[in-house]
Amino acid sequence: MSPVADKLATSGAPSGPAPVSAGARPARGRRPIDRLDTLLGGAVRAGLWLWVGMLVVLTLWVVVSSLKTTREIFADPFGLPKSPQWRNYSVAWSVSGFGRAAFSSVVVVAAAAVLTMVLATPASYVLARSDRRSASRVVTYFAVGMGIPAQALVVPFFLMSNDLSTFMTEWVTGWWDDRISLVLIYIVLSLPFTVYLLTMYFRSLPTEIEEAAAVDGAGPTRTFVQIMVPLARHGLVTALVLNTVALWNETLFVLVVVGDPQQRTLPATLLGLYESMQYTSNWGGLFAGIVILVMPMILLYLWAGRRIVQAMTQGALK
Amino acid sequence: MTRTRTVGGVRGERDRIYVPYLLPALLIYTVLFIAPSAVTIWYSFTRWEGLGTPARFTGLANYRAMLTNPVFLTAFRNTLILVVLGGVFVFALTFLTMIVVREMRGRAFVRSVLFVPSILSPIAIGTAVGFLLNPDGALNRLLSDVGLHTLTRGWLGPDLIFKCIIAAVVWTATGFYVAIMMSRVDAIPEELYESARLAGANRVEQFRYLTFPLSRDAFSTGAVLWVIGSVKTFEIVIAFTGTAGTPPVQARSAAVEQYLAVTGGISGTPQLGSAAAVGVVMFLLTAVLVVTLRRLLRSEVVEL
Repeated sequence: MSPVADKLATSGAPSGPAPVSAGARPARGRRPIDRLDTLLGGAVRAGLWLWVGMLVVLTLWVVVSSLKTTREIFADPFGLPKSPQWRNYSVAWSVSGFGRAAFSSVVVVAAAAVLTMVLATPASYVLARSDRRSASRVVTYFAVGMGIPAQALVVPFFLMSNDLSTFMTEWVTGWWDDRISLVLIYIVLSLPFTVYLLTMYFRSLPTEIEEAAAVDGAGPTRTFVQIMVPLARHGLVTALVLNTVALWNETLFVLVVVGDPQQRTLPATLLGLYESMQYTSNWGGLFAGIVILVMPMILLYLWAGRRIVQAMTQGALK
Repeated sequence: MTRTRTVGGVRGERDRIYVPYLLPALLIYTVLFIAPSAVTIWYSFTRWEGLGTPARFTGLANYRAMLTNPVFLTAFRNTLILVVLGGVFVFALTFLTMIVVREMRGRAFVRSVLFVPSILSPIAIGTAVGFLLNPDGALNRLLSDVGLHTLTRGWLGPDLIFKCIIAAVVWTATGFYVAIMMSRVDAIPEELYESARLAGANRVEQFRYLTFPLSRDAFSTGAVLWVIGSVKTFEIVIAFTGTAGTPPVQARSAAVEQYLAVTGGISGTPQLGSAAAVGVVMFLLTAVLVVTLRRLLRSEVVEL
């Protein structure tokens, strides 16, 4: 008997009034407590469906509202539009700057997510494989970063990006784009988690293949690039997806570091538009902006939902 | 010359790449993550009104001010309430869900929908929900239409706004913790549940004696993640109130207060020293809560 079943049997889980004789008893409805249990189960199930329903309705409501005129949104908040206002999207895209912001988001997130992998993958590989005593200490050193809130870095990052901008403009290139600073910040913020996750992943891979490759005459660099990276592709994609989702939604450092509203990414642009609503009152455009911001993540989820859930939960449990 | 090498030789060769492969990541992490975190501690002992002005050493003045300034105290109290009370709600809902979701009809659909909010921008969620809760917004309209006038409220007024924020956070965050716990529960062999049922264990008992003990490690990881994440709550607050400039004091979290101190808020004068101090206190808060949780939740691992 497994320890759990053992525990289950000895801890007196089904301590009904009658002595328990396994198998002879119907599972349900015998004791009053079981009836209560059935009732609770029904209530929780109903509650869950209500919760799911509210999430679905809220999503549909945002999409429908994005196709309404401002007048319709206020006159009949839960009704359908007379004719769908696709104009809201073109206005949001070109007038409210969501097109520009989408470009910034894609470039910044892609650059940061990929460069993070370029830095973290080789480091994690040697950390996972090295016999040196320092290796496990370095892994712990990276793990510490996962517990440091980004807020502990806001002030220095704000100052450093200012200094970097001034330095580059005055001494080196003659210009600077705060989005480059943002990419650097994103890489730094993603490193601890990525190194930790990938080290755990490389450790879980068998060593025989690389040893065979080495015996066949492949140098360590070639073994890493041609054998280990393809072998670890599942873990690498997991880390890439996790960082992409997190960075796509990041807002604090965009607001702190990128001074020019025209250069900001999607979440900050949505926030800016929301703040200006009392002057512009293009509420349909605001909802179109929400859709533009969340649509890529929804599509990613529809395309690779199970993998994302797996990545996020296993990334957490590693 | 021979092409055969020993495994020991392979290890030696691999050791050659240890430093060059590790160094770039290690240097960047040390110089741009660990060192700035340490510099934040130094800034927190200064008074500094932004670029171009001198930073003056003032010792513990920022920390003392935080303890006496009602605005800061409200922000920290709010954050603590969100972490503790929100956490209780999140995990209570997670456990309730775990009791039924394993074998209910449509479970795959339910689980995948509940997870969606965790990959969506809190700014988007906050904007949409904040609009629903406006004084003349959709929720109050709906309530009056179905004859529940008495329930209409100023949801975003000073009394209710933070409660609404907690509710929105719980409502959107719980799905992630359900997913974490369920990824462990999925690994529990069905036979165990069968024998539990045969022994007459009802659903709550199955949860108590089987599901929970076997997913305890996922619970302690989830609880730590909740603390690390919720201490930083920022986006949903500014999106809810629609004003990055000045959310009402009652709604501010510590992270919002820090953001206002960095950018200057309404006064327009940044307080970089106190912003740094807020960051340090948030780090300490996270560390203390995580260590406490680890202590509380430490247990022997149940072997299958």
